[in-house]
Amino acid sequence: MSVRRSVGRLLPAPENFIPDAVLEEISAQGLDASRRDFLRKSFAAASATLAAGGALAASDHPAPDGDMAILQPSAHSTRLGHPVAFTPYGSPSKHEANLQRRESPGLTRKRESSISFTPLQGLFGIITPSGLHFERHHAGWHDIDPREHRLMINGLVSTAKVYTMAELMRLPSVSRMHFIECGANSAMDWGGPAVPTVQYTHGMLSCCEFTGVPLSLLLEDCGIDKQKAKWLLAEGSDGASLTRSIPIDRALDDAIVAWGMNGEMLRPENGYPLRLVVPGLQGVCWVKWLRRLEVGDAPFATREESTQYLDLMPDGLQRQYTVIQECKSVITSPSGGQRLLDKGFYNITGLAWSGRGKIARVDVSVDGGRNWKTARLESPILPKCLTRFNLDWAWDGKPYILQSRAIDEAGHVQPKIAELRAVRGKRSVYHNNAIQSWQVSAAGEVMNVQLS
Amino acid sequence: MFNSRSVGGVMRGLTMSALVLLACVSSAHAEKFARIGRAATPSEIAAWDIDVRPDFQGLPRGAGSVAQGEKVWVARCASCHGEFAESPSVFPPLVGGTTRADIERGRVAGLAAVSENSKTTLMKLATVSTLFDYIRRAMPFDAPKSLKVDEVYAVTAFMLNLADLVPADYVLSEKNIAEVQQRMPNRDGNTTAHGMLDVRGKPDVSGKDCMRDCAIDTNTMLLLPSTVNGLNGNLAEQNRPYGSIRGIETRRSP
Repeated sequence: MSVRRSVGRLLPAPENFIPDAVLEEISAQGLDASRRDFLRKSFAAASATLAAGGALAASDHPAPDGDMAILQPSAHSTRLGHPVAFTPYGSPSKHEANLQRRESPGLTRKRESSISFTPLQGLFGIITPSGLHFERHHAGWHDIDPREHRLMINGLVSTAKVYTMAELMRLPSVSRMHFIECGANSAMDWGGPAVPTVQYTHGMLSCCEFTGVPLSLLLEDCGIDKQKAKWLLAEGSDGASLTRSIPIDRALDDAIVAWGMNGEMLRPENGYPLRLVVPGLQGVCWVKWLRRLEVGDAPFATREESTQYLDLMPDGLQRQYTVIQECKSVITSPSGGQRLLDKGFYNITGLAWSGRGKIARVDVSVDGGRNWKTARLESPILPKCLTRFNLDWAWDGKPYILQSRAIDEAGHVQPKIAELRAVRGKRSVYHNNAIQSWQVSAAGEVMNVQLS
Repeated sequence: MFNSRSVGGVMRGLTMSALVLLACVSSAHAEKFARIGRAATPSEIAAWDIDVRPDFQGLPRGAGSVAQGEKVWVARCASCHGEFAESPSVFPPLVGGTTRADIERGRVAGLAAVSENSKTTLMKLATVSTLFDYIRRAMPFDAPKSLKVDEVYAVTAFMLNLADLVPADYVLSEKNIAEVQQRMPNRDGNTTAHGMLDVRGKPDVSGKDCMRDCAIDTNTMLLLPSTVNGLNGNLAEQNRPYGSIRGIETRRSP
């Protein structure tokens, strides 16, 4: 059995099979080909040792008369388990601890004004668990007492009003599923592949069911001056009192003043007790800890739209108020930083979304974009919401380059990175909705690459 | 009137109530959502509505000199932003990269060449109102809204002086801030002529939905540099420890 073949097969990783000296070398110099080869050899040796001692999990090495996981009664099937309400607010299994929100090094110096990314590589369907929703704070988060929270609406309205949470929650509510994507999602890869996994390339993306009162209803309750109203300022009650200008047609269309997320109240990190939900618009417009809305006849040129979230074009001109998140998709598994342990059947799965409406179609290529197959879209398929796609694939142990390409109901086709760069250059930051490429090596390792 | 105990008073009260009801019929929601929300008081609006627009709507009266601003700067701002607002060590630099020619033209020429990390706030910023608004609402980082209005004017004046937009003896106030706007180096540097403001707008690129034998260029494939290996931690510990797809071991020694 060759080393490569053994890597392509077995593989519940024995603990500590890499000597410390090698770890230090990898740390200092990275993984080059010879070190990768060495790792494979040490891995194979460690596995052989363990297999000889019979220490591997039963399911991976069946005994002659069957699988010990079946033949031998398990502890959990022969003992009493925990009582009800043992964990009054449940938590994920201890076996799932690897899937966490994580920071990426070097992005910011202050953790109160920073980002944590959603582990898309391990999620199913379209809903982001509340505890894994990505974070972007500008002055840290607080756990605000809802009894102390107020929403004020002023500006071009007949009556400037104040609402308590109790009053807002008496109003007719809607519950809708929408994606939220930071305008800077995939920003690190504008110049070339820069981060290893889909958590860091695309993890400023989440999708939840939000419950709240339609913003249009509140604005009408205050008597919005529809003749003069052109923009809406939304303001948070955090230290940054973050403000963004929202075009009034977006505010009056499908925006929600929301308190609910996935059936529970918003998590504090996501704006508890009140946030703005502006479907299809970049995440910074979804103002958290929402305390004030001001109707105006002109944009407000706040910091988050005058020094940040500008799109610098090659000629030095800056695009301002680029709020719409465009048609995009990504394969979440197999994806960067992962390894296929065996040949054979795999489900290529991923997410597609568009700030301009529903997803109409997703195509998947395994040969770097030369040939495409249309993937299955799983229901529900909703406007401005993540859509899950799947495609059957049999891996034969050869190298491949996986890509997905979304098309939205307006007919917009997700572009290649080279096409975007031809217009916006390499120094752009926001609105990278390019096709993502994942290279699968013969050893089954998946790497972030870019094809022009 | 509504407190009157006389019969006539009650009658007048009822008449008034009827009038109020009639008035409400024209506004369906006001009637429908009775007893939800109340009018904001002028003091409440003044306490929260502190935003300043580019046309200076919302700008409070006040004044502050460059010299006063320098004192506030040294005490409250310099530890993060550097003595001359030039430091990139904690946040991106605020001042630098603008020229007299930029001030004349209203466009910062350097924006056509610099990298994202070396862009300064004063290079990007078109509107001086934003500077005042943001300092007032969000600065200092660890004690936002702790500066008095005159201190906000002073710190703004200090930064404008560092950028050669006002002289060292300048006193910035609500009366002369519009003059400064006319000198902002990148005042004509923004555009809204793009497809990402309107939900029905046109994207920059119309991708192709070719399905067979599509043109691709595999000769210029960019790879993830090996130097990033391990920077994001051990990827094996960021994927499930079971199943036929695992994370790659990229462990670094502690």
